[in-house]
Amino acid sequence: MMSQVASPSISALLDARLAGHSLPQGLYTRPDVFEADLDVLFRKHWIYVGLECDVPEPGDASVVELGTSSIILLRDDDGQIRVVHNVCRHRGSRLLPPGPSVVSKLVCPYHQWTYELNGELVHAPHMGIDFDKSCRNLKPVTFRSIGGLIYVCLSDNPPDDIDRLVEVMERRLAPYDIRNTKIAFQTEVIEQGNWKLTLENNRECYHCSSNHPELCVSFIDLDFGYDPQSLSEEDRADAERHQALYAERTERWEAEGYPSAAVEQLVDCATNFRTQRLIIAGNGESQTPDATAASAKLLGSMTRKDLGDTHLWGHNCWNHFMGDHAVTSLVIPLSADRTLVRTKWLVHKDAVEGVDYDLEKLTNVWIATTDQDSELVARSHAGITDPAYEPGCYSAFTEGHLDKFSTWYIERMRAHGY
Amino acid sequence: MAIDDHRPVDATRLKENWDPELDDRLLCVDIHQETHDVKTFTFVSPAGKHFDFHAGQYFLFDLDLGDAVESRCYSISSSPHRKNAISITVKRVAGGRISNWLHDTLTPNATVQAKGPLGAFLRPSGAGRKFLFLSGGSGITPVMSIARDLADLAEPADVVFVHAARSPRDIIFRDELALLANRVKGFRLFLLPEDIVGERSWPGLSGRISKSYVSLAVPDVAERIVMCCGPAPFMKAARDIVAELGVPAANYLQESFDEPPLEDAPIKDDGGPETQSFRVDFAKQARTIEVPAGQTVLSHAKRQGIRLPSSCANGLCGTCKSKLVSGTVDMHHNGGIRQREIDAGWFLPCCSKPLSDLVVDR
Repeated sequence: MMSQVASPSISALLDARLAGHSLPQGLYTRPDVFEADLDVLFRKHWIYVGLECDVPEPGDASVVELGTSSIILLRDDDGQIRVVHNVCRHRGSRLLPPGPSVVSKLVCPYHQWTYELNGELVHAPHMGIDFDKSCRNLKPVTFRSIGGLIYVCLSDNPPDDIDRLVEVMERRLAPYDIRNTKIAFQTEVIEQGNWKLTLENNRECYHCSSNHPELCVSFIDLDFGYDPQSLSEEDRADAERHQALYAERTERWEAEGYPSAAVEQLVDCATNFRTQRLIIAGNGESQTPDATAASAKLLGSMTRKDLGDTHLWGHNCWNHFMGDHAVTSLVIPLSADRTLVRTKWLVHKDAVEGVDYDLEKLTNVWIATTDQDSELVARSHAGITDPAYEPGCYSAFTEGHLDKFSTWYIERMRAHGY
Repeated sequence: MAIDDHRPVDATRLKENWDPELDDRLLCVDIHQETHDVKTFTFVSPAGKHFDFHAGQYFLFDLDLGDAVESRCYSISSSPHRKNAISITVKRVAGGRISNWLHDTLTPNATVQAKGPLGAFLRPSGAGRKFLFLSGGSGITPVMSIARDLADLAEPADVVFVHAARSPRDIIFRDELALLANRVKGFRLFLLPEDIVGERSWPGLSGRISKSYVSLAVPDVAERIVMCCGPAPFMKAARDIVAELGVPAANYLQESFDEPPLEDAPIKDDGGPETQSFRVDFAKQARTIEVPAGQTVLSHAKRQGIRLPSSCANGLCGTCKSKLVSGTVDMHHNGGIRQREIDAGWFLPCCSKPLSDLVVDR
């Protein structure tokens, strides 16, 4: 049925976006835009879906659902990571349920078509002896493991600028040896808001000092921009000292062999990311309630706790890699106004809960922060849905990354025909 | 039988665990005479690895007897908290090739081939559980490991341990059982020799276990989880007695492979003449069938009208995967099951031939 008032096309909505401003309402709220977002940004771009340590042993499998797609991340008998589509080649049944499983073969529960863990069909009962199994293997998914983080692209033409991300992050992640971590804890929070609001909220720390008391012990909001004029004289002096410290600390870290300077690939690109080694405030070790390490067993080959926080953003994730642990968050859009945020806390694979680390101390800061962010995103989405909403201007000091994200979003949608 | 040098243990690797997928050699470090015909053999990993196992589990030993390699399962008798070594406790059986070989030929510093830990005869966990351990003869080994585990845990325990033996001098671990009963609060011991030859002053009852004996010794047996191991006639009697005394079937667990009558039973080759068959209970369907040695559980179950999910019938797809509550099988799968699933007590009936009576959770 036609709506009574003709809706502008998605292209017209993209055209209506003003530079330096948040997006027009329909881009956050309309179901047709949501479908287009999923198709363009989650099927035709590289997205982060999980970790090698989601499937630590041969036969471990983990199903990740994205819109109507479902993929199986698994480890085969040779210890290699594989990613296949969760669609039986018989009549299309799902092979595995969402979440983790342990499998020997991939057996369709419907009619027992049986696949090797490399996707090869090896048993298809009652199909006749002439049945050619060779062209009925499970469809593989293109993926890259970047320092143990699994990125997939569901299209046949994956953007090749993933190479920059690989080149930058393999080196930065090497000392943390994320491939040899374990998931100490995991949460799933469903935010009542559009996925782009989830991302925008993550890309600024304008809201931090008023909303994230736990995070602000270790995270420095000024790192993500400030207006010197709006600070008191004392705060401005602090901020300037902090900037000087950054320059000095970054130089020292780099001299010691730890790449630290910011690398950004945010606009005019397909694969959107930013990384930088950030200084941790206070005790300087880790994002915990007192900024000291939560795990006595450090990650990988790390021998020190003063190497800050290597942060990494993508268009569906944010991550923090620290000496003693890492926190990784993955964003999966569920509908125009619902977004799943799946957060995992990683420690050294041999670290023992209650002996090497205290789970409460490990998870406290980001559980609180994630819940607070969920509230903010719901509040933001509700306001944007109001007929009174009109796009507002981003702060040039603290929201530059949001402007870049919205600009990138418009560019990518246009590049795919909208 | 290869005799390796007793290599010094590399201290830096002490914390590494025995990996059932990689490790398969055990180094014998001690042999202890328990009774006149029972010895305990203690093994370590040649690489100094630690054993991570559950009390009640067993190892499958592939012993090279010179003219043939024979396989036998032996329960671990030692405590899982003593991770540096595992022990098995073996009774010499008249005419038994394996037990005689172990008693007469195995020496400290020799290595043997073994797979494990395997099996699911495990103490159900959870606070406030009360147990009755019922063992006959060398069937004491898995329940002894469980008793040692409970003692080492230093948690409140409520255990009655009833052990039946041929005579007082056949009571394995007699001194240690007395020690446990003295030291562990909530541990009550009953020893029941069949006759009192050699110890005429035996202070307690003698004879076989009976309903009246169990109801006197363990008046609250109906509230207990019964874990039973021993020769087949002993276990059959025990099972009937505790069922009559009100123990629900779900609270009765048994381990049967190392019962002496079967310990040295010959294992049939495929297609060989069948002279022996095993009892296979399908617990959920309340059906029991006989499966001849050398035949798969699935094919015989189907033939006798028992419905089990299945597809490929040769250990590939895993559709028939079932929980093996007790007993052991000879399984030749084609990748349809993982070692860690086997360790957790699963098996594929389509490619498994019984080596003992079985209870299957189907």
